[in-house]
Amino acid sequence: MAPMRSALSMSALTFVLVLGGGAPALAAEDAVHIKYRQKVMTGVGADMGAISDILKNGLPYTAAIALHADRLGDSAALIPTAFSKNVSTGATDAKPEIWQKADEFERAIQALEDAADDLEEAADDEEPAAIAKAFKTLGKACGGCHDTFRKPKEESYKNQ
Amino acid sequence: MARAFGAALAWLGLAGAATAQTATLPASIGRGEAVLRAAGGCTCHTNYPGEGDDAPELAGGRGLETPFGTFYSTNITPHRKTGIGTWSDADFLRAMTEGRAPDRSHYFPVFPYPAFSNMTRRDLLDLKAYLFSLTPVERENLPPDALPPFRLRAAVAGWKLLNFRPGSFEADAAQSPAWNRGAYLVNGPAHCGECHTPRTLSGGLDRSRWLAGSAEGPEGELAANITPDRRTGIGEWSATDLAWYLETGIKPDGDDTQGLMAEVIEHGYAHVDAADRRAIAEYLLSLPPIEHEMKAPDAGK
Repeated sequence: MAPMRSALSMSALTFVLVLGGGAPALAAEDAVHIKYRQKVMTGVGADMGAISDILKNGLPYTAAIALHADRLGDSAALIPTAFSKNVSTGATDAKPEIWQKADEFERAIQALEDAADDLEEAADDEEPAAIAKAFKTLGKACGGCHDTFRKPKEESYKNQ
Repeated sequence: MARAFGAALAWLGLAGAATAQTATLPASIGRGEAVLRAAGGCTCHTNYPGEGDDAPELAGGRGLETPFGTFYSTNITPHRKTGIGTWSDADFLRAMTEGRAPDRSHYFPVFPYPAFSNMTRRDLLDLKAYLFSLTPVERENLPPDALPPFRLRAAVAGWKLLNFRPGSFEADAAQSPAWNRGAYLVNGPAHCGECHTPRTLSGGLDRSRWLAGSAEGPEGELAANITPDRRTGIGEWSATDLAWYLETGIKPDGDDTQGLMAEVIEHGYAHVDAADRRAIAEYLLSLPPIEHEMKAPDAGK
């Protein structure tokens, strides 16, 4: 019995060492991915909010809408990198579906890019009706992705 | 007797319309659609979560989870067997303002008749005219998945004694017409309080925290504090921010909206007159701010 017990405690010791040493490092590594990801998405929100401000307050900045839309297209191109690491636990509202339904996620990003392009074009043409329509499509692109891939607010880490 | 009463009510509705607008107006389908939009499109009666965008509109069958069990919305298309196709005007008014079915049984208060009881007869009858103009859909209503006593319609009588006072909206002469319009919309058709006000233990709305947010909204959703408290509510929003939000679903920080609120914007508030969205905003931002922090119901577990 004695050798067996020591074999057991050896493996238990190894287990403890691996977990004890590895887990915090992993969590810390995950956290930096989450932080980067959230900065990319905050950038998307900032441009959406800025375009909203121009439209709802009637600011005479139509050319700026085109620039914001252009930036949204660039942000969309950053999203695949931002979500390349599969992390959906911790201080994040990313759902595991992002990696389970990778094709659908990719299509949702494409929808954002397309909608941003359309808004840029409408703003370049200075067509208010086309701008309003393209902005609505852009809003739907946000929702189309968030509905499936972001935790609802009752499950958000911010509300726990 | 009931029929005579119904006729009298219908006449009162038309009489109201006649004074408000031109002469002898029959209930208007077009106005009725506007009323439906102001009610958020009545999307609880469409099973979008279960059947997606192809769900038959207003044919019911949508499960609404509440702390008391899951209740299924009803078919409000004019199908004569499974919908409301045989309802008289009086039946419709009784359902919307008293929470009672044509056979006089009580509706579960998941159906927000406390709010709808504030609506004008004209709005209600126009809404009925619109609903009756739709294509009937054959779909049977489903019984609730709830434990007794919450599944017993008779028990609703007790609930009503505790929690239900039929309303009738009264304008405040000291306030502007836009404010009064907003007050009517918020407390009547738009039925904001039904989700955004926390409930008491008996499932009534907690009047001391009116519109201050609920962690246990329908479908388990967290409904935001929409009083103008700066920290926990929408006190940092301008009236323009709020009107724009009700049109587009985009918040001042550029974020969008999910869940039931996204639905009622898309199928409802986005389609009402811009002046009505503005009126709702003016009214909500004039309310006393209530500090009430929203947390998920099982937070910390």
